[in-house]
Amino acid sequence: MNKYELGIVDTRNIIKTLQDVYDYDFKNYALTFFKRRAENFIRIHNLKNADFFIEQIQQNKEIFRLFIAFMSVDKTEMFRDPSMWRLLKDELLVKMISGATSFKIWFPEVSSGEELFSMAILLNKLKLLENVRFYASSISELNIEKIKAGAFDPRKIEVNNANYKRIFSDGDLSDFYTYENEKAFWDTSLVEKTDFIKQNIIFDDYPKGIKLIIYRNQMIYFNQILQERFLKTMHSCLVPGGHLIIGNNEKIDYWNSDKDYLTVSKSESLYKKKLS
Amino acid sequence: MYKAVVIGGSAGSFQVITKILMSLPKNFPIPVLLCLHRLKHVRSGFVEALSIKSSIPVIEPYDKDNIKPGIGYLAPSNYHMFIELNKRIALSTEEPVNHSRPSIDLTFETAAQAYRDKLIGIILSGANRDGAYGLKKVKQLGGMAIVQDPGECQVKTMTEASLKLTPVDHIFTTQQIIQFLLNLK
Repeated sequence: MNKYELGIVDTRNIIKTLQDVYDYDFKNYALTFFKRRAENFIRIHNLKNADFFIEQIQQNKEIFRLFIAFMSVDKTEMFRDPSMWRLLKDELLVKMISGATSFKIWFPEVSSGEELFSMAILLNKLKLLENVRFYASSISELNIEKIKAGAFDPRKIEVNNANYKRIFSDGDLSDFYTYENEKAFWDTSLVEKTDFIKQNIIFDDYPKGIKLIIYRNQMIYFNQILQERFLKTMHSCLVPGGHLIIGNNEKIDYWNSDKDYLTVSKSESLYKKKLS
Repeated sequence: MYKAVVIGGSAGSFQVITKILMSLPKNFPIPVLLCLHRLKHVRSGFVEALSIKSSIPVIEPYDKDNIKPGIGYLAPSNYHMFIELNKRIALSTEEPVNHSRPSIDLTFETAAQAYRDKLIGIILSGANRDGAYGLKKVKQLGGMAIVQDPGECQVKTMTEASLKLTPVDHIFTTQQIIQFLLNLK
């Protein structure tokens, strides 16, 4: 394992370039995360060193697009943490959504799309997909294009299928995707009613009147300033009584946060916006 | 003088880890960082089982938790666990390293950067090479490198890969590891 190591000054120069040229503000990402990600990107794409990388970001829009996609870390697998999806399936979704006509669910960083498609499949199985409107935001245009096309990494098929079996006793995940010539695609009719929103790091364009937000394992890449800002933004997007799900080992922890959110399930990191 | 211990192994090291944790004094003076390969879809049970036997509290930390002395921090399943320079935990779902998430290499390497020569790294029995590079970084940055005696390991891949990659300070049996840690008091 040969690693390329960035110094702190180089790292800050990269952050500054992204800000100056593209108006993407990574300042409040966790610095060690940003540094590690940039190092891996430089190594994978043979970009030699920080100066060459900065030059490429400035001149080569494609490198920039690839880097932004790389910064929205992928969602690892379908139905990650099966117990959380079982809780949604068995106890929450039917109660929440039955009878609703446009139940709004927001994915503030959809990245590689696994959570969006997991939710769509779950709702399809529960015959509730028609009642729902999805909002899927991402900092990465490239990721949004991939999701719209339904593309996903075929190396994940095995773990995806295994997770499906941990949640559903009937059917098969392959009812929802095709795999041909080593390429895998979701049935895109699952996300037909999805508004995709390309956004900058700081939410500038976010939906309102949201009933459920799924934002798992993204705040772990931020510093505490940005974490708190996102939690506040999400709070303002939720209707009173709306739910927020974050990653298993993330927590809502800012001054007075217990005035904003009620804990519904600690083990699955499920919270509810308080009524007043 | 040491400020932290970091221990890596696979689920097969469970008994050795348990023995170590139950032998430590309640007021063990430094944190114990644990990175063990385990089933990723089984989240509960593991930390509970360790806690029952351990004489110090063992937790699966939340992201950005402060690292405190006398507490065991177990890398949560399906997350990488990094040690930040400011002695906090950072979790991540980035791609597996050596087919592993959590990856022992990543926990060891970042712990080494955070604690430098104040770190003790211990590699136990395990079924892949993950951990060898991490132990090398511990050693390179001035920390103490310990490997469990391969003769005692059910699966030797991890310990042998470590010994091949880096000089170590000690090759210890479980009992010797415990004695060494007890002498830190």
